[in-house]
Amino acid sequence: MPNQLFTPLGTAVVAAGVWAVAGLLVLRARARAFGSRQPFAAAAGDPAAGIRYAFTGAMSPGAKESVREHLPSYGLGLAFHGGIFTAFALLALSLAGFELPRSLWLGARALLALGAMGGLGLLLKRLLKAELRGLSRPDDFVSNLLATAFVALALVSPGQAWLLSAILLLFYAPLGKIRHCLFFFMARSHFGAFFGRRGVFPPGGSHVH
Amino acid sequence: MSTELEQKLDTLTDADYARGLEVFRGGLKEAEASYLNACVRCGLCAGGCHYHRTEPELENVPGRKLDHIASVFKAHFTTMGRLAPGLVGAKRFDRDMARAWVDAVFGRCTLCGRCSMNCTIGIPLPALFRAARRALGAMGLVPEDLQATVENSLQHGNNMAIEREEWVETVEWMEEELQADTGDPEARIPLDKQGARCLFTVNPREAKFFPLSLQASAKVFWAAGEDWTLASDGGWDLTNYALFTCEDDQAAAIVKNLTDAMTRLGCQVLVIGECGHGYQSARWMGPEWLKQRFPFPVVSILELMDGYLNEGRIHVDSARNQEPVTLHDPCNLVRHGGISEPQRRVLRRAVANLVEMAPHGVENYCCGGGGGQLAMSRYRNRRLAAGKKKADQIRATGAKVVAAPCHNCIDQLSELNKEYQLKVQIKTVAELVAAALIVPTHSEVLP
Ligand code: SF4
Ligand code: SF4
Repeated sequence: MPNQLFTPLGTAVVAAGVWAVAGLLVLRARARAFGSRQPFAAAAGDPAAGIRYAFTGAMSPGAKESVREHLPSYGLGLAFHGGIFTAFALLALSLAGFELPRSLWLGARALLALGAMGGLGLLLKRLLKAELRGLSRPDDFVSNLLATAFVALALVSPGQAWLLSAILLLFYAPLGKIRHCLFFFMARSHFGAFFGRRGVFPPGGSHVH
Repeated sequence: MSTELEQKLDTLTDADYARGLEVFRGGLKEAEASYLNACVRCGLCAGGCHYHRTEPELENVPGRKLDHIASVFKAHFTTMGRLAPGLVGAKRFDRDMARAWVDAVFGRCTLCGRCSMNCTIGIPLPALFRAARRALGAMGLVPEDLQATVENSLQHGNNMAIEREEWVETVEWMEEELQADTGDPEARIPLDKQGARCLFTVNPREAKFFPLSLQASAKVFWAAGEDWTLASDGGWDLTNYALFTCEDDQAAAIVKNLTDAMTRLGCQVLVIGECGHGYQSARWMGPEWLKQRFPFPVVSILELMDGYLNEGRIHVDSARNQEPVTLHDPCNLVRHGGISEPQRRVLRRAVANLVEMAPHGVENYCCGGGGGQLAMSRYRNRRLAAGKKKADQIRATGAKVVAAPCHNCIDQLSELNKEYQLKVQIKTVAELVAAALIVPTHSEVLP
């Protein structure tokens, strides 16, 4: 694959990437500007253990009823995000002019196909379920369409249209709900620390005074 | 929608909205700002909420309740909310939005936090609902009866406006009952005992309506030979309804009754009776409200009883509680308090047949009476309807007794018992332990 970095579209992708990262950093700085809380109550558990659990066990079907009861949605979400990460990895390789080893191609294409189906499935769910439609904003549809197109084009037409979709996706990332790629980690860390301090996470942890 | 609320909304000025927003903004830290940016509107939290389980409609989806708040946050505090409000769903804080906030955070939420556990992102939604309640409080939109409960605590030192003489008489009467029950004329319910190890605090409902639960706790203390006391003045009521109005200054003033009593009486351990919100208020929120680390531990009586049994200070015979018992997990005690196992260990020893609800522990369903719902008469029907999930859980266990370590929950469960014909008895854990106690002889009871 030729090095795309110095083509006009390649340069635009990089610029969009810089925009996305800078935008997310600004959002993080703004959130941090709200200030942090120094708790006074004596901890009953370990916040760090709570955070570790929040990113592992607490997300498993065993600990989460919403996962157990919505396994298809859970699967679609996993596939969608797997596809997005795969497409970004391919984008980075493509911009740098590296070929994906043939032995990995089949796996990557499978992940992209599953990712595209995941994105489409979640979009259909959002369109068809009245309650979810009521909960949705235009932002939800725009975000899904941009990411799904990016994944699908990586699979079927990894050329200029794909690079264009990458530019749009990266440009939009800090503007709409795709910002959750940052805030998921911030929010879940606070969540884990909160329940970790209180001795709720991880389950069975020792509760001390 | 209640006329009381509509009348209040009629009187709001621009300055009121500005004050509400200022208070809302002031209650947010990095954590809350992250949560408000994080929701992906997936709706997977819906089934986590007992309101949605019993009435599946959009306004009962926790993510929707959050969205009312997030949309205001976006409109007033984010760039995209100002530039493209239609795209990201930003909405100004106006009369309709204030009404939506009241309905969402007071009318359809018990602050139970079950949705947090089931949120795709991991958003502790009650943190944001509390920020909204605080803002509404600054605008005078807290339901009047809920606020009146707080005023009682501020004025009388307890939320039922029980006068000191009445409280002291009740304690003296309970002491006589305890002596008759134990056959020990020396059995005491100490009041204002200087230097006692434990200051025990109770829910005023025990004094007014459930004296037997106070007597049961006293009997356990007596059997364990505990060095304990109640306070006669401010500092005996563990409740703090400002946890629900979210007005932190008032919450601080109420919890200060407890810390002052600890200082006044020179006690070492603050013991919270069976009450979920009382435990969360004293153990977790109190130090934050007063902005100080407490120089003493705050423990639940459940932990004490667990310790007594472990150390062999009390002995129980589970054969004395033969009927199947199920355990209700108060949200403020378990999910938000971290006290989940002591009551289980105690009951496994004190009752013959403990049947767990499905689900239980941290995954428990709220009884529907939390978050101040019991004090907000305008939402009574909704509260009882939302409690059906808990009623169904109880019925499914086949239990004849529900152990509920929270007097708030007991009130709601008692109403559910009638409403859904559950035909169960509802008791505190201490009542079950007291019933199972192998009563020591006088000489065995330590001084
Ligand atoms: S805190 Fe409880 S009552 Fe409130 S929305 Fe969440 S699950 Fe429902
Ligand atoms: S599960 Fe979490 S992210 Fe999804 S709608 Fe509910 S609050 Fe938002």
